[in-house]
Amino acid sequence: MAENILVIGGGPAGMQSATLLADLGVNVSLVERDSYLGGNPKKFKYKFLFPDMQPADNVIGELIRKTETNSNIKIYYSSEVSDFKENGKKFDVTIKSPNGNETKTFDSVIVATGFEHFDPARDAKYSYQLFDDVIDIKDLERMFGEGNVNRPSNGQPPKNVAFILCVGSRDRHVGNQYCSRVCCTVSVKQAIELREHFPDCEVYIFYMDIRTYGFFEDLYWEAMEEHDVQIVKGRVAEITSGPNNTVICKGEDTLLRGPFEIPFDMVVLASGMEGGPQSPEMAKKLGLELDEHGFLKPQNVTLAPFKSNKKGVFLAGACTGPKAISDSITEGGAAAMDAYVYAMKNK
Amino acid sequence: MEYDENGVSIVPFEFKKEIFEEARKDFRYEEYVRGCLNCGVCTGGCPPHRFFDFSPRIVLQNMKSKDPELIWTMMDEYIWACFQCFTCAMICPFLNNPGGVIAILREIAVRRGFESAKKVLKPYSRVLLKLTAYGNQLSPDMIQPDFFPDWGPHIGYASTDLPTKRKAIPMPTLQVTNLAWDVAPETMKELYDIFDEAGVFKIIESVDPSLYEIIQDIVDDVRSS
Repeated sequence: MAENILVIGGGPAGMQSATLLADLGVNVSLVERDSYLGGNPKKFKYKFLFPDMQPADNVIGELIRKTETNSNIKIYYSSEVSDFKENGKKFDVTIKSPNGNETKTFDSVIVATGFEHFDPARDAKYSYQLFDDVIDIKDLERMFGEGNVNRPSNGQPPKNVAFILCVGSRDRHVGNQYCSRVCCTVSVKQAIELREHFPDCEVYIFYMDIRTYGFFEDLYWEAMEEHDVQIVKGRVAEITSGPNNTVICKGEDTLLRGPFEIPFDMVVLASGMEGGPQSPEMAKKLGLELDEHGFLKPQNVTLAPFKSNKKGVFLAGACTGPKAISDSITEGGAAAMDAYVYAMKNK
Repeated sequence: MEYDENGVSIVPFEFKKEIFEEARKDFRYEEYVRGCLNCGVCTGGCPPHRFFDFSPRIVLQNMKSKDPELIWTMMDEYIWACFQCFTCAMICPFLNNPGGVIAILREIAVRRGFESAKKVLKPYSRVLLKLTAYGNQLSPDMIQPDFFPDWGPHIGYASTDLPTKRKAIPMPTLQVTNLAWDVAPETMKELYDIFDEAGVFKIIESVDPSLYEIIQDIVDDVRSS
């Protein structure tokens, strides 16, 4: 009899786990809270992915197609794990779906419940939701996806745009001391996209540090050298309304100009990643450990990054911390291996 | 005090070090000085930064440098440019408190009777005198063009005919110009006890010895009444 493995979450990591396990002949149950697969990249209509600017559909769309067409995968849409019990080395899990409750026994479980975008309205200094022209990177990504990146306030093309990095990350006031890893690269990518879309539009990036780690650095150089993106060291202290329907960014250019107050047509906040309400919920339901940042905690961050504190329950993707899509997909595969080995050993 | 050829006082390094150590030993130091990434949020939001060469980021960075020379450079004018509004402390993403560091340094300057402290506190001697004599901070007769130039061009007019103007105020006043309200001697005595305990009299003695003498006479009078 084939193994039964439960995958919770149908984002990049969960879909990668599910398809690989299904290819091995495992009966996979995939529980997804939304009515569609694809996670945050699908929900917020990501258009192009860094570092190579390939269309998101090539990656996310492809994973969705592979997951949906695999006969070994049973997908539960708009569903959740309503009950979770250990049964020896196996797990009795009740899945609550629109078609009612279903209880199954699984050999192992992969948690891939992902992250939530930080809500910039929680940090009042950025005036998000107060001014229409203050948006964040997920809003801009959706606007690119929908093909309209004009100013939300009046539908006109922006003449200058500011990106503000580290919104909701590396900020003890909002409770997130960590770096969200991808927002710098996403912002640099979007700055390039904006410059290509509006060649006359000036684009500024206000930074404390720019963390386009590894080869993502290529994009950072490209933004500076080929797209003339202005990169200014200084975190913005306040956003207020300015003349002629502009928003003013106030801060200190700590290297060159000192204090500045610059009116912009549009401000894009590089909001970071959070464990969201789903991480503590999973921790509670499955008896997993949470870390001090609100993400699920791996058993050993170096040696066993995909194992949870509970034997037979594995972790993949952004539920253990901020991650790029490519890393999440890698982790989906790695966790699938761990989950498969556990299931085989306890057959 | 020694002076160099330009008339600038020479302060020995050991003394600067002593000042730094005094600041670092303050019980608030650990709470106020944490990690700093030079993001500039504090300075970007700092009201005096718009008017003076003053930056809370520099204050914190100087403190973190643990360099007595750098800290000493702030003791003369720099620390007195701060409004003590603590906007920096409110907005620092890493919960530093540059305004608090300023408070620690100012207290050292006051305790040790530095010239800068004497200069800055001079205009307040009238307030201190009024406070210790009558328990009032400000009274109408303190409005004089010489002392409140920042109140604008009408201060000259405002300071004339005070008794008449006082009577024109449509609410109960004491009909005098040297008091805003009456304070009972018992309250004054309690105030002196608080000043004693909090070291306020000691501070006055170090920054303004002649004012201290006048105040002591008043205090003795009230206490023996």
